[in-house]
Amino acid sequence: MDPFLKGDVTVNEKSNGLGTIIKTGIVSFFAAIGRFFGEFGHAVAKGDWAVKLSLIWMGAGYARRKQYMKALLMTILEAAIILFTVKISMQYVPKFLTLGTVQAEQVFNMETMKTEWNDFDNSFLILLFSLFSFVVWFAAFIVWARNIVNVYNLQLQAERGEHINTFREDMRRYIEDRFYVTMLSLPVLGIIVFTIIPILLLFFVAFTNYDQQHMPPNNLFTWVGFQNFINLFGGGGLTVTFGYAFVRVLGWTLVWAFFATLTNYFGGILLSMLLNSKKTVWPKFWRLLFVITIAVPQFVSLLLVRNFLSNGGIVNTICANIGLTGFLRDIGLISTSYIPFLSAPGWAHVMIIIINIWIGLPYQMLIATGVLMNLPGDQLESAKVDGANAFQTFRYITMPYLLFVTGPTLVTDFVKNINNFNVIYLLTQDVYTTTNQAMANSQAKEVDLLVTWLFTLTQDYYNYKMAAVIGIVVFLVCAAFTLVAFNFMIGGSKESDYQ
Amino acid sequence: MKKRLVTLILSMAMVLSLAACGGGSQNKETQAPSGNAGETSQAAPAGTGETIKLTLWGAEEDQTYLSGRVEAFKQAYPDQTFDIQIGVESESTAKDTVLTDIEAAADIFSFADDQLADLVDAGALLALDDTMSQVLQAYAGKTIDDVKAANVAVSVDDATYNDTLYAFPTSADNGYFLYYDANVFTEDDVKTWDGLLAAAAEKGEGKKVGMTFASGWYNAGFFYGAGFTTGRNDDGTTTMDWNGTSPSGITGVQVTQAMLKIAADPSFMAVADGDLSNQINSGKLCAVVSGTWDADPAQKAFGDGYAATVLPTYTVGDQQVQTGSVGGAKLMGVNAHCENSGWAVLLADFLTNEESQTIHFEERQVGPSNINAQNSDAVKENVAINAVLQQSQFAVIQKAGGKYWDPAKTFGEKIAQGAIAGDDASVQAALDELVEGVTAPIN
Repeated sequence: MDPFLKGDVTVNEKSNGLGTIIKTGIVSFFAAIGRFFGEFGHAVAKGDWAVKLSLIWMGAGYARRKQYMKALLMTILEAAIILFTVKISMQYVPKFLTLGTVQAEQVFNMETMKTEWNDFDNSFLILLFSLFSFVVWFAAFIVWARNIVNVYNLQLQAERGEHINTFREDMRRYIEDRFYVTMLSLPVLGIIVFTIIPILLLFFVAFTNYDQQHMPPNNLFTWVGFQNFINLFGGGGLTVTFGYAFVRVLGWTLVWAFFATLTNYFGGILLSMLLNSKKTVWPKFWRLLFVITIAVPQFVSLLLVRNFLSNGGIVNTICANIGLTGFLRDIGLISTSYIPFLSAPGWAHVMIIIINIWIGLPYQMLIATGVLMNLPGDQLESAKVDGANAFQTFRYITMPYLLFVTGPTLVTDFVKNINNFNVIYLLTQDVYTTTNQAMANSQAKEVDLLVTWLFTLTQDYYNYKMAAVIGIVVFLVCAAFTLVAFNFMIGGSKESDYQ
Repeated sequence: MKKRLVTLILSMAMVLSLAACGGGSQNKETQAPSGNAGETSQAAPAGTGETIKLTLWGAEEDQTYLSGRVEAFKQAYPDQTFDIQIGVESESTAKDTVLTDIEAAADIFSFADDQLADLVDAGALLALDDTMSQVLQAYAGKTIDDVKAANVAVSVDDATYNDTLYAFPTSADNGYFLYYDANVFTEDDVKTWDGLLAAAAEKGEGKKVGMTFASGWYNAGFFYGAGFTTGRNDDGTTTMDWNGTSPSGITGVQVTQAMLKIAADPSFMAVADGDLSNQINSGKLCAVVSGTWDADPAQKAFGDGYAATVLPTYTVGDQQVQTGSVGGAKLMGVNAHCENSGWAVLLADFLTNEESQTIHFEERQVGPSNINAQNSDAVKENVAINAVLQQSQFAVIQKAGGKYWDPAKTFGEKIAQGAIAGDDASVQAALDELVEGVTAPIN
């Protein structure tokens, strides 16, 4: 990178860093597309007959250059894609625009004692297999276009009289200089099948009326455009008190994510510094104790804690016996015959954050321990020489360094906590009953995060379409936050401070 | 330049993967049917000797009973070869599991009656119509009308939706009533809530009367008793009249005031939904409103004083109103997407006939819905089942849509905590808010 450009970017950094990132990203994206089609067009225009034939028979170019194995593989791939298209895609994709029109019908056959069904449409399968087909076709198109460029390159090589690789030589490249391709192919495939397609599916469901009244296989669902989004934000909301509940749930989600992240982060750092201190005896033993909480499955410990702290639980019994419950009632903190640790707003909010410290702190402690061991020793020494005290060393050397190294995990932790289903659901399910009728009318509780609310709305009410809409909203919130935070944390010139 | 692009890609990738994790629950849900692409049932002609494959889901505690009865079924039809698999699925969660993927669910499954409407709406249940009546006629020598006549009316109503029978009643003990300790209470004490609470204060030695208020299943009993109703519309929404005046001239405000009075009594303990058994076991209660599933803990807790009866009456002005209850049945239905539906219907009928219900009671003390089975001496001697059968004269079938439960639960919790101010205007406002939430349209 030339120095001028770097300086320029650093200036922009302070003023509109995010804008620059997005702009750069978009420009690079379109440039890549332009290059892709440019190379393809050039190859088609300048290629010989074999290259042009490759437009129809993908193996032609390789066969012409005597790369028969490659030609065979390409032919098989092409045949597989065509077979997939004819056999599977054609059953579903033509119905994609309507998501099916044939309602399920059945007749009972007295002879065979069996129920016979008509050849009915399943909207969900149509949507799923159409999306799958689109992804396959998109990938096939890229392979097809790159294939032309490749065989054109082969033609150029042949024209220049260069050596053309045999199949064996080509294969060898995949375990040598192109090893990354071999390594990445499986994870990429996994991401496409298990992440990209479900996310696309979620995205498309948001534009349908897929809910309890339109549930396959017996009923069809269809496209409704932006109606669900209008219902969410404009036309009165999902439930009578939707706006009321949404604001409160979103508020608690952000408050929770903020405190859960910060308490764990600083708690973990302080704890690891304590354990790292030379004055601590048996540091390994203490560390082991904390790590054991990781080894116990989270849901076990959370459900146990929930039962301990429930209204009739053991903690309440103890508190009542030692007179704490009575004392709290006397000073007016509670009005019930028990301490509502997990069953009243306020109490539950604080308790959840505290319990989460216990659950999440050991992880942060381990990370911080690792980072602290790599603290640049020369900086600490020079600080000592300059007469800095312990707090100053922490404030000006340890903390900035930790923040730089663990900044990205801080951001991921925050986003993870926004979606922290386990802790909230396991601690409050069946224990917390809201007394706020307006919240209850929207199937929400004061302690719900957006995800747990989403879970109630879909699991108990089969409202998949609105779940998809809220899912998209959560995604946008997280994406925006992550972009801003990453830009702030690790963007710009900070990296050079530690290099 | 490059670093920025990397940052952008990194953050996008991270968000994507996180969103994927976060959305995991519903992804799993919606993806489930994909495995079944090729399984759309195609009827093959049944030759004699063809193995009839059926799958059956029942509660975990019922597995032994079911496998015994399935063997008896095979013996009843010796000309046919069966391959019947029995799986475990709780009756209380059958609906969720079945609706996740109807085509992959069992051919025959047991469920609690409150799930019937949702199951029928989703097309998961085979209608037991005239065709199926002919099947029963041909192979079991009875009709659907015979089935209806053999079971108590309330259980048949439970299994009926839009005038069509959709399932066979298996038991009629899915309701609640009053367990009490006869060493503390006399038979007169337990007739009214006032008497019950007064006697508990006087003779209970600190033990209390427990009931779940934070549940639309329990707290509705007070309103049903006064003549109020809930209903379910075809689109899944709920109707409710609790903020008005009932046909018997009692207002919802009066009912709520009576409930508030009970909840505020020092001898009353509002128990969280699902926590009743724990509280009975802990020995803090001398009387409790619960169902047959708590018979064992109640028997242990009350010892030789173990007794059960109908719910007490509550006071409105100068009259006593009988506390109603939700009467329920456990049902056994046939999956609409079952291939061998004819044989599935025959098996379901067999598993719910008089003989099976009698054996079910003998093995597991499940209260039968079959009238003849109910009239046996053994059933009448069972304290808990006898009480639930007595209470069933005051029980109604709870018809409610999905939006009923959360608001009704919160309403009960507010009463239990005394979170509604005692004046009539506040109570009326709380009722109006409840009705608004329950009757809200579904988007």
